[in-house]
Amino acid sequence: MRKFKLMIVGLLLLAVLPVHAGLQVFACEPEWAALSSAIGGDKVSVYSATTAYQDVHRIQARPSLIAKVRKADLVICSGAELEAAWLPLLLRRAANPKVQPGKPGYLMAAMQVERLDVHQAVDRSMGDVHGAGNPHVHLDPKRMMIIAEALAQRLVEIDSGNTEFYQQQLLRFMQQWGDAIHKWEQQAAPLKGVEVVVHHKDWRYLLDWLGMKEVATLEPKPGLPPKAGHLSKLKQQMAEQPASMILYANYQNKRPAVWLAEQTAIATVELPYTVGGSEAATDLIPLYDEIISRLLAALE
Amino acid sequence: MNWEGLDISILGPAFLAGLLVLATHVPLGQQVLARGIIFIDLAVAQIAGLGVIVAYSFGWEAGGWQVQTIAMTTALVGALLLFYTERYWPDVQEAIIGCVFVLAASAGILVLNSNPQGGEQLKELLSGQILWVNYQQLIPAALIYAAILGLWFGLRKRRHRLLFYALFAIAVTVSVQLIGVLLVFASLIMPALAVRHGRGNGLVIAYVTGAIAYAIGLSFSALFDFPSGATIVWALALSGIMAASVIAITHALRR
Repeated sequence: MRKFKLMIVGLLLLAVLPVHAGLQVFACEPEWAALSSAIGGDKVSVYSATTAYQDVHRIQARPSLIAKVRKADLVICSGAELEAAWLPLLLRRAANPKVQPGKPGYLMAAMQVERLDVHQAVDRSMGDVHGAGNPHVHLDPKRMMIIAEALAQRLVEIDSGNTEFYQQQLLRFMQQWGDAIHKWEQQAAPLKGVEVVVHHKDWRYLLDWLGMKEVATLEPKPGLPPKAGHLSKLKQQMAEQPASMILYANYQNKRPAVWLAEQTAIATVELPYTVGGSEAATDLIPLYDEIISRLLAALE
Repeated sequence: MNWEGLDISILGPAFLAGLLVLATHVPLGQQVLARGIIFIDLAVAQIAGLGVIVAYSFGWEAGGWQVQTIAMTTALVGALLLFYTERYWPDVQEAIIGCVFVLAASAGILVLNSNPQGGEQLKELLSGQILWVNYQQLIPAALIYAAILGLWFGLRKRRHRLLFYALFAIAVTVSVQLIGVLLVFASLIMPALAVRHGRGNGLVIAYVTGAIAYAIGLSFSALFDFPSGATIVWALALSGIMAASVIAITHALRR
């Protein structure tokens, strides 16, 4: 009986005491969840607000999102206005002082690196353009290294007791990543100068890194659905100067890409946009492996 | 199961928002049912949204109260239009409302063609999310709803049809931004539908039915990590069915 009572007390304590598996990290997207796990190891417990099959521009509110941000020690997101429709609201509702803008617990990955397509004045005629530049920075491995450093620095700042651990983790990550970049650049050499049509400008950094050329987008303007006049112009452009492939992300509607492929006999390639976007893309390095192997396969 | 979302400071503002919306929408919903103009809220909300994107395309970069003023004014103009169509063509009012809805939505797409940024505004206007609501936001909404209820029940004896359309436009414009079109439609129609055969105290039963649905829907969405708005819509449907069954059984027993 006594044992039983003790057990009950123990269980109650377990329920009441927060299960403290180290630092609580709230990542807006799977790529930042993966990076946080890579650097934080077992000192952090990571939660990703979205999956690879969601359009992160817009998400449905769930109570658990507020609860997770409330408990978080670090919120890591792409930033550059990618999550502008929901992150500010979520941060305000959670009212966690540790992760508000300007605090060490608020890390916007894209803002740690130089961004492409930064517009001084965003004109409404330009479409769904992010004034702060293209936010899809996780598809450039070199920028990822800078972001990894910034993340490690934040973890040290928040959890200085484990400084040495985080530094070691970062070092290991940088070595692995450096080797991987070397390998990818060799593999991807045939892709240099290859011309592609993209659905949305989410491959901006990847193409820039691999030296590929974006010759057209299926969207007439970022964020606007493809429409007839634009598609017929594209068709004509491809008839005169065919691109090698048409790229679209796993979470996007593939019908515009398939339509253009049928009209022009150019191959379409579905690429995983982030970790979890295809069966093989289980982590950051496999994600890049997968993207490069699919591009190479389409070239043949 | 996920107990951490079951927190009054997370669910409290959302629940209060639900109660406030129910307060005005249940009596208006009974009226909507009586007139057989079920989709009027979608049409009015879409017209309000159209007003905002048109204002944007004229280069009027408004935020806060200006957007509200534009939305409210266009919604009222739309309501006035629907008031006149009901007057002249009452037999096809529901069809006209449907046409107005698709026309307003299509006009929005056409305007957005040259001005995609207004699209964000439109989405914000039409797809409010109940969980993002905080207490401060509820104060202006509560004041407007109180005024609406005061006018609605105060003028019970000599209500003009135009009063219904005007109050309805204002109520829907406010509530759609708080909780989104799906939940507004469900709060308007489902409790009122559940009690349509009830006698006398139908309004009270409808209020209770709606409040229970919000409480259950929110708790469910917290426990099972479902998007809250969609969960509450289903809770409203189920609690409406329960209420309607109870009413039907009591009627049968009395006979």
